[in-house]
Amino acid sequence: MLRKTLVYNNILSKIFQVPDKIVFRWGILFPVLILMCISLITLKYTSVNSSFFSSTFTKQIVWFGLGSFVFVLAQWIRIQYFQEYAFHFYGILIIFIAITYIMPVIGGSQRWVIVGPFSFQPSEVGKLLLVFVIARVLADQKGNMNEIKLLLLILFMALVPALIVFKQPDFGTAIVYGFIALPMLYWSGIRSYYLFSVIAPIISIISAFNIYIFSIWMGVLVMVIYFNQPKITMGVPQFITNIGCGILSPFIWNNFLYSHQKERILTLLNPMRDPHGAGYQVIQSIIAIGSGGIWGKGIGKGTQTQLRYLPVRDTDFIVSVIGEEMGLLGIAVILGVFFTMLYWMIVYAGIISNKFSSLTLIGFASILFIHLIVNMGMTVGLLPVTGLPAPFLSYGGSFLLSCMLILALSTNIVNHHI
Amino acid sequence: MPKFKKVQLVLAGIFTILFFRFYHLQIYQHSKYEEKAGNNSVRKISIHAPRGIIYDRNGIPIVDNRQIYDLAVIPFDVTSQFDYQMVSKQTGVSSSELQEKITRGKESFHRFRPVPIKRHIDFETRSHLEENKLSLPGTIFSEFPARTYPDKAKLTHVLGYLRVVMDMTASIPNQGLEYKLGDVFGFSGIERIYESILRGNDGTEFRLVDIYGIDHGVYQDNPGQQPVPGKALHLSIDSKLQSLIEDLFSGKKGAAICMMPTSGEVLAFVSAPDYDLNSFAGPVPIELWEGWNSDPEKPLINRGIQGLYPPGSTFKLLAAALAKEDGVVDKNWTVNCNGVYTLGDRDFHCWNDAGHGTVNMDEAIYQSCNIYFYQLIQKLSYKNWTGMAEKFKFGVSSGIDLLGEKRGLVPGRSYMNRKYGKWGWATGNLLTFVIGQGDVLVTPVQVAQMMNIIATRGNTKTPHLLLDSPAEKISVSLKPLTWDFLQQSTWDVVNHKEGTGKAAKVIGSEVHGKTGTAQNPHGEDHSWFAGYLVKDNIPILSLAVLVEHGGKGSVEAAIISHKIFKYAQKNISL
Repeated sequence: MLRKTLVYNNILSKIFQVPDKIVFRWGILFPVLILMCISLITLKYTSVNSSFFSSTFTKQIVWFGLGSFVFVLAQWIRIQYFQEYAFHFYGILIIFIAITYIMPVIGGSQRWVIVGPFSFQPSEVGKLLLVFVIARVLADQKGNMNEIKLLLLILFMALVPALIVFKQPDFGTAIVYGFIALPMLYWSGIRSYYLFSVIAPIISIISAFNIYIFSIWMGVLVMVIYFNQPKITMGVPQFITNIGCGILSPFIWNNFLYSHQKERILTLLNPMRDPHGAGYQVIQSIIAIGSGGIWGKGIGKGTQTQLRYLPVRDTDFIVSVIGEEMGLLGIAVILGVFFTMLYWMIVYAGIISNKFSSLTLIGFASILFIHLIVNMGMTVGLLPVTGLPAPFLSYGGSFLLSCMLILALSTNIVNHHI
Repeated sequence: MPKFKKVQLVLAGIFTILFFRFYHLQIYQHSKYEEKAGNNSVRKISIHAPRGIIYDRNGIPIVDNRQIYDLAVIPFDVTSQFDYQMVSKQTGVSSSELQEKITRGKESFHRFRPVPIKRHIDFETRSHLEENKLSLPGTIFSEFPARTYPDKAKLTHVLGYLRVVMDMTASIPNQGLEYKLGDVFGFSGIERIYESILRGNDGTEFRLVDIYGIDHGVYQDNPGQQPVPGKALHLSIDSKLQSLIEDLFSGKKGAAICMMPTSGEVLAFVSAPDYDLNSFAGPVPIELWEGWNSDPEKPLINRGIQGLYPPGSTFKLLAAALAKEDGVVDKNWTVNCNGVYTLGDRDFHCWNDAGHGTVNMDEAIYQSCNIYFYQLIQKLSYKNWTGMAEKFKFGVSSGIDLLGEKRGLVPGRSYMNRKYGKWGWATGNLLTFVIGQGDVLVTPVQVAQMMNIIATRGNTKTPHLLLDSPAEKISVSLKPLTWDFLQQSTWDVVNHKEGTGKAAKVIGSEVHGKTGTAQNPHGEDHSWFAGYLVKDNIPILSLAVLVEHGGKGSVEAAIISHKIFKYAQKNISL
């Protein structure tokens, strides 16, 4: 009995600790409050037709309340716990997102793990776990590993879950998984040229769709290689590899992408290609935003939104609603407060000397950043429709909870170290 | 530069790019997208202006509006409880076809758009379907303006019918007016001639419509325009007289036109057989149209203005008028009729084989002696005779306000030369012309107009159907003696005991007239009667009645005319 209690206590003390202090870091929190306000106002008017309890507005308030509770609870978490067990979490992550393959197909994809009446999307919280493991690996380095090997290791660790979720298929989350490693690598001190060399083949593949863009890109590539790669024996193969990627591009297009993903990319290149099909959402979103003007049409008065020309207005395209009803002003506020939040996260990451904590902050900032950029880029037709929600704006319980958790853990880290 | 500054700088750069994309859309291209958003959600709804009602001269409505409906279904709203059987029973569309249409609609992107099920259902069917609205989710009705004909008088050829604008290049009669697809327009008859009066102006309304097509009320920023209803038309037709004549013509072919001689107002206009304007609404069904077209009775032809007939003996009045006017023969000039007249090697017959004996001009008219006129025409100038025919408005269109009027034919010298060659015709032809046979062709309205001219001593007006319309004055100047003679002899036709038009006589009123028998190679002769009724020294009704294959003028046409005069005696006054 006693032993059991001791073990139990032992586990508890590993996970939890009494925080030294609880300070609200308003540089991070204030933007979130503003974003939540904007989100709730918008949802209030997009859900006028549903009853109070079933409306997205009410539900979002409940989720936000729940998120605030999680925020407070998370202050008691011992942050080193994630460092110590990072590899275990990584294993669990891989297992869970792999399990989705034996789960039933919902809405054309297998993203959920369903146990009895409960279901959850492991890839959601998995973003955080991936941050932890990458931060752990990078923090463990004391200059004893070849930079390139380290780079490839980290990329491998990120790409394994990224490929799994890509096949679910969940293009958006795969992008998040693939992306968050890059800022963290940069932050850990990897040479920029190496990072460039890793990204270059991806750009080569994408730019191969247009021969002119591809030519310009090749020019840039040659310049960068020339100025950064002292050894010709390394530079020439690198260049040839990039050209090869470009040539392989059609092969990848034909064999690796799902038809709906191809459709979305083609639509991005030309939304009018299929105005009633894949391009429809983007066209309506652009019309909504463009018609909003500087001041917007007024809250609850957007014709695109309220007359339902704009699809999925509560979640993926909530930024378009804001653009239509609150105008450029609303957009500027969103961009402004978001920038403030990320700015302070980077500032804190720069101050904190603990490598793991610092990298974790950068990883968290990357998650929020990539979501926002991909989402907003999608609403204005700059990026393909991937279904990534906008942090703190889009309706959606589990996503809001994981965003709040990111915020909570960031606050926890900052309070622990500063 | 510290690392975190670099990262912040990159971040700021990316946010700026994003901001400028929004700036570009919301400021630079704002007006373009504002318009597009408007195109999305603001629907310009056309509000039908009700078409003008058409009344007869006494204010009795003869053409009115009614609504018929198009039934459509919004596939998205159709649920499993949709009663296919009911719709099928009410509309005659098979339920398997219905099911297929709706299933296809549900799969399409436009599942919120109405799918047409049945056009032109009547109010009763609609009410029936509306009562069962709960088992018919997703059904909607759209209104379609149609005409209804509440009066017993059919007046088919005068009223004409409407058509729907199917494509903008099709023959729309009034190019000056603006039409949209689906609008109706007057395709024939009065409906066409007075389209610009009857039509009115459609109003517009701007409404907010969501993606499902659900209406969200009037768009506040643009109030639109109220419809201007079409103006009512008052026709000069007397609908009671009209329906009386229509009844008289039942089972017969022919035409009858009654006018008020002093004003040229048309009181009745019958062309038989006709077709039923109530038998269709909207576009004429193709079976119906082909049926009318292939009907040997030719119901589509408006015999009153398009039927060309030899005028028969009614034409003798022209030669008589000319002889009187020019003083070619004196009062005592007589002709002995023994039933046949020989010119060269050809025999010309009188209708009375026994002959009329010695006849003067008056007798020749009321007994309708041919022999007299065979001889008279040889004393007259051919040119003057055609001139007299033109004075009485033969060979030219009467100018009545209907489309498609035929001019008929008064064969002049140049026409004869063209047709038969200079030496191909001779006096023999003129002998047939003078009694209204041969190449001479007239329309019933022209014959009626001749009666207007005689009855008013040359002071009448262009025949017209619109009451109180400024009709053109017609003045024919002849010597008073000539008028006296024409009026006297036509009186004799009806009132003399040997007159051929005795059957038209009405006791208590002064009736004038002239019978005619138009020979016709296709069967029994056509029967003519043309005349007028004088009440209190004022001619109040002129008429021309033609019964195809009706035999001698004194029979069919005169009997019909008699009934018309009797009605007019009681009911018509200035």
